[in-house]
Amino acid sequence: MESYLIAILTIAGIYAVLALALNLQFGMTGLINFGVVGFYGLGAYTSALVTELLGLPFAAGLAAAIAVGAVAGAAASGLSLRLSGDFLAIVTLGFAETVRLVLNNEDWLTRGPRGFIISTRPVPDTLGRDGASLFYLGLVLVLALVAFLVLERLRRSPYGRTLRAIREDDLVPATLGKNVFAYRLQAFVIGSVLMAAAGSIYAHYVQTITPDNFTTPIAILIWMSLVVGGAGNNVGAVVGALAVTAIYEGSRFLMPFIPWLNAEQMSALRFIIIGIALIAVIRFRPEGLLPEPVNLPPSRTAQSSTSQQQYQVTGGTAS
Amino acid sequence: MSKTTRRKFLAGSALVVASPVVLRHALAQSAPINVGSLVPLSGGGGPYGAEIADAHQRVAALVNQAGGVLGRQVNVITENDETNPEAGVRAARKLIDADRVIAILGTWASSVTMGIMPLAQESNVLQLFTSSSDDIPKGDKKGLIFNFQPLNASWATALARLAVRSGYKEAAFAGPNNDFASSMVKSFGDALVEAGGKQTGDSFLYNPNQPSYRAEAERLIRSNPPAVFVPGYVADFTAVFRELIRAGYKGRVFAISFATGPQFKKAVGDAANGVMHGFPVPPIGKDTYDAYLKLVGLTPNGQVQNPYGCAGYDQMQLLLLAIESAKSTDPMVVRGHIMKIANGPGERVTTFAEGAKLIAAGKPINYDGASSAVDFHPNGMLKSRDFELYEIRDGKDVSVLRITSET
Repeated sequence: MESYLIAILTIAGIYAVLALALNLQFGMTGLINFGVVGFYGLGAYTSALVTELLGLPFAAGLAAAIAVGAVAGAAASGLSLRLSGDFLAIVTLGFAETVRLVLNNEDWLTRGPRGFIISTRPVPDTLGRDGASLFYLGLVLVLALVAFLVLERLRRSPYGRTLRAIREDDLVPATLGKNVFAYRLQAFVIGSVLMAAAGSIYAHYVQTITPDNFTTPIAILIWMSLVVGGAGNNVGAVVGALAVTAIYEGSRFLMPFIPWLNAEQMSALRFIIIGIALIAVIRFRPEGLLPEPVNLPPSRTAQSSTSQQQYQVTGGTAS
Repeated sequence: MSKTTRRKFLAGSALVVASPVVLRHALAQSAPINVGSLVPLSGGGGPYGAEIADAHQRVAALVNQAGGVLGRQVNVITENDETNPEAGVRAARKLIDADRVIAILGTWASSVTMGIMPLAQESNVLQLFTSSSDDIPKGDKKGLIFNFQPLNASWATALARLAVRSGYKEAAFAGPNNDFASSMVKSFGDALVEAGGKQTGDSFLYNPNQPSYRAEAERLIRSNPPAVFVPGYVADFTAVFRELIRAGYKGRVFAISFATGPQFKKAVGDAANGVMHGFPVPPIGKDTYDAYLKLVGLTPNGQVQNPYGCAGYDQMQLLLLAIESAKSTDPMVVRGHIMKIANGPGERVTTFAEGAKLIAAGKPINYDGASSAVDFHPNGMLKSRDFELYEIRDGKDVSVLRITSET
């Protein structure tokens, strides 16, 4: 059981990184990216190719995945960021589908639908099975922590404030002299880099990847995590990923309590539960479990009340 | 309001996360033998998963009624792999790490079988499945896998032989770019040549889920081949077939039987007549297959029913017999007994009950199954299975030819 929890936490950690990356793009900057799996899959395959075909260590695979993620993110967003929200969503969806088709058809490189077997693991050989899975969980947690700290720092900085301003109304920051396009591009690229890094770690964790590992249902799961957790809130993104994974995995254990349902019905019931949970959150708590923090500086209310008083005082004097 | 909701949610999710711990504690007390049944209950394999899981459950129930294996009950835990390796890996994690199963039975899609193989190998868990990718044997380093389905290459070989025997020596090839069809291209051409025919035109792969297949259909019949072989699934095959008819193609169309079921026949109507299709089939009329059908409540009618469920039946029987014979549930010991019981030599047995009696008497046994004779190569791949060729006449499948493929 412990090793199961470790395995599920590892997967949840990878989802949390994806949700954090999406939170930067969508939650903070308002960029709709339905192509999460495109960047995730690119990272996974890049890392697999670099380690297996070129014989380089995992670190090189991760670095290559990050580089490719950055280039792909810049290319996809550079071409389409000037488009408004809905169009970007379609372009990213198209991007993910293109990636999947390339992975599926370029057999000479990716082995196509037959799948790519990865033997390189970033785990010391001396560790046993349990040690290795703990080590891997640690690795994922480190990535998640780094992602969280970087993104939280960004969120609190003036940079994050600009991103939020762009999300709310891009005309305002543009009027203030901010280069809206550059900010959007950067946010998109940072998010893509994190998704590709998550893909690299995932690939070496599962050790066999096929284009089927990177289909749109995973992107939807990540979107669910963000919506449930609370878009715009980094803690919410992580909590959302954990909650969604807990529902997905925890619902398996309901089976012994409902013996009158057969396996097929039980499996359908799981999806029903997941759907109802999502609908319930959107209906009763549209801002997510942990809503975006109100971003007013703490002194502002005090300041404004003071100035109000001053105004009243001066006003009184004038009259 | 919002605070209460959050608290309730957190408490609820904690409960969900904690429930496995409680469950495991409860299960450990009675110590049954846990066997995983990982089947596609949704996605591309959805139509077949339920019959496989049902066969696993029923065999185990029958064995449990008679006192179990090594005096222990068999507990079958069913999970849905969604015909997707990502979901399959998560489900396999649960089976291996939470339920501590000794074997995972029933995976159907090659991508799932291969996707969970690293975990199964790492934890010494047996895999008994029906998948056909030619790459499957490469992932096995410990002799823990047993395939109840012939590999792709032998599907192509068998179908090419059937085509030549029914008078079509030249055929063009087009299939969806999935694991199944892509590894068939070469073996189909080779088999045609070997049987005295040849592949005409160019053979190519198309992307499944295309909105239109007109260009593919035109390309396929450009050189006007006497026959075309399209090993697609029902959705893409139906679309390609429609385009072939529209283009006025008069030659023979060969397909895989799983693409030409009721859905296809309903979609194209009378045009379906004359299509030939083949498939690895259970030995219709054989005592073992009839016994399986009766166990799951079906009546033998001379037709193929539950093409994958019968393999699920064999998977569970063979595994439980091997455990009984090995006097152990350690997969590293059981694997050798699976091989010994499947291949013989020994007295023919067809059910666990028969086999257990002979094992108790110290006699060697040879399992003969409902899906095939269940004999394996040293790498765990099936030696041979029956293939049958059908022709659709007046909307019904009429058997034309049957061969056994040595694979």
